[in-house]
Amino acid sequence: MQLRSRLLKSIHTLSALIAVPLALASGAAHAGTLLLGTYPDKLFTVDDTSGAVKDKVKLDAGLPVSLRLSDDHKKIYATTITTSGIVVLDADTRKILNQFSLNTPTVRYRFMGGVPDPSGRYFYTVLIRFDKLNDRYTVSKQQYAVIDLMQKKIVRTVDMEAQDDALPGGFRASLMLSPDGKTLYMFKSKVLVIDTASLKVVDRIDLQKADAAGYEDVALGGGVEGLQLTHPNELVSLFTAADPYVHNKIFGLGRFDLTARKFTFTPIGPITNQISGLEVTPDGKTAYTTATNGLTGSKRCEFWKFDLTSLKLTDKQEFHCRSRYTLGMSQDGAKLYIYGASYDIEVYDAGTLKYEKTWDLGADATMAGMLALH
Amino acid sequence: MKHLKPLNAKARRIEADLAAQDNAALEEDVVALQQAPRPHVPLGCSLSFSPGWEVDATGGTAGLCQPVERDIYDCYVTCFWPVQVADHVNYSPDWASNCAAATKDWRNLDIVFP
Repeated sequence: MQLRSRLLKSIHTLSALIAVPLALASGAAHAGTLLLGTYPDKLFTVDDTSGAVKDKVKLDAGLPVSLRLSDDHKKIYATTITTSGIVVLDADTRKILNQFSLNTPTVRYRFMGGVPDPSGRYFYTVLIRFDKLNDRYTVSKQQYAVIDLMQKKIVRTVDMEAQDDALPGGFRASLMLSPDGKTLYMFKSKVLVIDTASLKVVDRIDLQKADAAGYEDVALGGGVEGLQLTHPNELVSLFTAADPYVHNKIFGLGRFDLTARKFTFTPIGPITNQISGLEVTPDGKTAYTTATNGLTGSKRCEFWKFDLTSLKLTDKQEFHCRSRYTLGMSQDGAKLYIYGASYDIEVYDAGTLKYEKTWDLGADATMAGMLALH
Repeated sequence: MKHLKPLNAKARRIEADLAAQDNAALEEDVVALQQAPRPHVPLGCSLSFSPGWEVDATGGTAGLCQPVERDIYDCYVTCFWPVQVADHVNYSPDWASNCAAATKDWRNLDIVFP
């Protein structure tokens, strides 16, 4: 009996030893990682199955205000506001590859994000420079700027023209680069097409003109979740617009060809009070947004689910919304996240649009947004 | 007078000179925050004014984050409520260094003396 008991115990132990790695491997096939900026100066990586905080990456440059994944998904670029810093991380290991601050005791910059060029050497942004002189401060105009990530300094700037500066959008206007790195796009109420060699605006695509989209007052969705690349050459986002005759407000899906500079707009329905950006599933077939109706105490929020092949709204579900929040999605498109203006993430099932659980991060998320990584 | 067009070189110079004066005057003018093009608030928080913690944009309280500490940090960084919150960019970058979640451990916020 003793021998049989020992044998069974050994088998159980062996089974357990085999089962644990198998379970881990099975879990790892679906698990992803969320990357968020948190106060006061960190990036958190969060397991997207358990909600556990895995890494807390401290940034010497201070508080992160923007996050961007390179087009090849190999690097992560974060910018900080405390010392106007740029941090480059390896997307797989989340190790810091490069970090520096642009501020000096007498010169400060302010910018909220940017876009790396395809080589990873340069970083394009829009900034303002402040110089502390003996008797006064001088403030520059808004400038297009190129930051050399190897030399760790700004190598080129060109003042923004007054007509472009006046367009709604400000610091947080999204920037995109064409796949060949030759054209920079700035998405304000117009799309500014900028030649990266000269940093001059070579074209302004006026989305308000009827001949561009057939609608006036077209506005691009903003924020980190506002623009989605379905492939390296095409942006997809929700747009809002009004027809030029009775000014009926509508929303729709816009696609922007980065090489041909062509914009197409497909109206979907009447606009609500507010619509967030678009989150597109990895297969490009389904997308989600949140719509807000009403104000303050009577505010109601809904998830909206779209079929991108038929461009139809296929499902809606009300959820408990915060006063201010951001929509995110897991890397496999199975979960939706509501986060921001707090220390937690609310998790919803993307299929049913039902609430599942809340993850406590223990630190407030910054407005840098969230990256869903594999 | 916009329907008049300069026909000779002297008239064109006068028009260009007047346009330059207008632009210069606009650059040095005092402008409202609502005015377009909007002025850029310099690196600091002293030039903008918004209602405080007590009311939201409509004058009520229902639109505030609940509790208000949930939103305090993004106001601290962006100077959205500059009178009530420390200035992250210039004077108080370490105000929140010991307090990662404002709702939970706001007692660890630094004290700011003007």
